[in-house]
Amino acid sequence: MGDRRAFASLYDATSAKLFGICLRVLKDRTEAEDVLQDIYIKIWRNAGQYRVNGLSPMTWLITIARNAAIDRLRRRRALSGGGDEIDAQADPAPGPEALAMAASDSARLNGCLAELEETHAQAVRGAYLDGDTYADLAARFDVPLNTMRTWLRRSLLKLRECLAR
Amino acid sequence: MSDELPERDADKALAGEYALGLLSPDEALAFEARLASDPDLRALYADWVEDLARLADRIDPVAPPPQAFGAIAARLFGQQQQTRRGAGKGMGWLTALFGGLAATALVVGLIIGVGLMPRGPEYPKDPAYVAELVAEDRSLILFAAYDAGNGTLFVERERGDPAQGRDLELWLVAGSDAPVSLGVLPQDRATVIDVPDALRSRLDGAALAVSDEPPGGSPTGAPTGAVLAVGQITNT
Repeated sequence: MGDRRAFASLYDATSAKLFGICLRVLKDRTEAEDVLQDIYIKIWRNAGQYRVNGLSPMTWLITIARNAAIDRLRRRRALSGGGDEIDAQADPAPGPEALAMAASDSARLNGCLAELEETHAQAVRGAYLDGDTYADLAARFDVPLNTMRTWLRRSLLKLRECLAR
Repeated sequence: MSDELPERDADKALAGEYALGLLSPDEALAFEARLASDPDLRALYADWVEDLARLADRIDPVAPPPQAFGAIAARLFGQQQQTRRGAGKGMGWLTALFGGLAATALVVGLIIGVGLMPRGPEYPKDPAYVAELVAEDRSLILFAAYDAGNGTLFVERERGDPAQGRDLELWLVAGSDAPVSLGVLPQDRATVIDVPDALRSRLDGAALAVSDEPPGGSPTGAPTGAVLAVGQITNT
């Protein structure tokens, strides 16, 4: 039963953050609640793998949540025949708690994103938070898909170099 | 690919594309196959995941509805689970000491590092096949994952219990052949079953089923009770 108690504490400590991520990605409360369940089931099942994957605990949880939410979003888009409008809207302004959390690490990433061309930085954010595919991005920036990919790969390299500094 | 990057750079970009979910399904599979055997690539990927997760820092936490945990616990541990935990209350002094974020990170580290290490059967790292066995009315749901390396099948009952004084028995149903027993499931929620050599090659494309049987399993070698849940075995 110790495992279950630990799991409940983990849920208490992290579910609001992960639910926030689901809501941000899916923008639909019912779907977000559904995906949140899947996320914690995945966490329970994969806890044994955590130690070998080399990620910090919060990163591991955030990544599971983000990936599950994006998967759901893409399935929804596929079902609706790809007619889902691309949400190019800016993120809502972060509240005080998020701002407090967005301390040094986040500043480093944002600093490095700022070194990229504005549209490329938007593309990286769009892929991570809105599940944009190369096809979505190519359509949004009105360039051929291969061009989009070449751009983004070069930007990722620049970003990597900056982050490694 | 029209751009020609040096190999190491190409991998850096590729790991980033994978972390962002931009690769096609085929490319992603190929990347995962390399990931399994290439520690350098794993390190590149981990760097990306770590850095990109910072994009989530700006997202505000939102408390999920109170019944959400009960629904998760029911799926994991069964419906009768009466959970009200309040285990998080013990965090009060940590929060006071370090502030919310540090306390959360610390607690998460402790919980995952120590508390959640499974002592029971383990879900396979890289299952070759998985199956979800679902009763028509969803009153019984089991999940199975096959570890090809060990020839073992991990089986977890997500929802439902055997009837009072009865056992659940697991069957392999390959094509039009008669079901072959893979064994009686213990009362525990999760178990690992050794799949006999002769049956391993028959898993691909087959189905799994559980039936309601007298204690100790079917006395005849064929299902005698109702087939409660069935699931197709799929490649991962």
